[in-house]
Amino acid sequence: MAGASSVSEADDGQDTESPDPAADVPTLFAGGEAGVTGRAGWTPRPSGFRTPRPSRVGGGVERAPGPAGAAGPDHPGGAGRRMIVGRVARGLGELLITAGLVVLLFLVYQLWITDMFAARTQDRLHHQLDQAWGHPPPRQPGVERARPAPALPPVDLGDGLAILRVPRFGLDYSPVIVQGVSAANLRRGPGHIPGTALPGQLGNFVVSGHRTTYGKPFSRLDELKVGDPLVVEVRDRYYTYRVTGSEVVTPNRLDVTYPVPGRPGVVPTRDLITLTTCHPKFSASHRLIVYGELADTTEKSAGLPPVLKGA
Amino acid sequence: MYAWIYHRLPGPPPVRLTLAVLIALAVVALLIFVVFPVVESVLPNGQVTLGH
Repeated sequence: MAGASSVSEADDGQDTESPDPAADVPTLFAGGEAGVTGRAGWTPRPSGFRTPRPSRVGGGVERAPGPAGAAGPDHPGGAGRRMIVGRVARGLGELLITAGLVVLLFLVYQLWITDMFAARTQDRLHHQLDQAWGHPPPRQPGVERARPAPALPPVDLGDGLAILRVPRFGLDYSPVIVQGVSAANLRRGPGHIPGTALPGQLGNFVVSGHRTTYGKPFSRLDELKVGDPLVVEVRDRYYTYRVTGSEVVTPNRLDVTYPVPGRPGVVPTRDLITLTTCHPKFSASHRLIVYGELADTTEKSAGLPPVLKGA
Repeated sequence: MYAWIYHRLPGPPPVRLTLAVLIALAVVALLIFVVFPVVESVLPNGQVTLGH
């Protein structure tokens, strides 16, 4: 009301001349808004239906201070119109506030809640791998030692395949790489693109991972330098790759996943690893690609590979 | 809107308040477990692989 009085003398005069509507409505409003809970509880049902009314009137007055308030007594229909306008404005305001809260909740979800989901899933995947690797690999009777047993039996989409360890990211960095790169697979952990080589196989072991959500396993991929070890742990051995380079490419560059990256149709002669994630952070415009090459294979019976013993 | 919903909840204030909190929690759960996973699949920062 202080604002209304400073707008013009006429408004001020009308305000003081007819104190009833101006003074009456705010008290109703205050009583309706604050007293609704209390009053509705202590009085029988019928009055409970009456109590919301004042708050609606209050909404109208809140929306139209000063001039509209002064015009009220002149036009009998004004109060009804103001009430409707007030209710619509109030409903709209509440909707907008709700929308804001939903957006806020989405941010919280993206930045923290997905991390909690991923942490739980990763714990479970670690546990499953521990169990699976604790038992001897299933042997097929007929093909005993005909050729070296595959280090990795086939795993289902979404199941744990290997554990990635990157000393530069700390010794406790050990996300479980899952099979598959569907949205659901990637929520569980970094995903191996099916059809690309498995760790320790000739060709290109390609792994994609989230950079900003779901535990953000690949958030610090840009910090890797040439020569950094990337250790992939499977059932019975550690494969130590060394970073050979990185680049930022457009999302359509499928050729970085080829057995020999960038050279379609060329038969691979080396064991490579390729890590992919989005770039820049929170964007889909490009992909950050880190390349590596197998440098060392350590049997688990021989203990940890030297690069993991470090610190 | 919220006042309208609140006045349509049955029972005395403690019951209404409990119901209101439960409804709010249900809405949050629906958002987090159903709506947001769908929404994020069309957002850019989840796209980490190649060939799209």
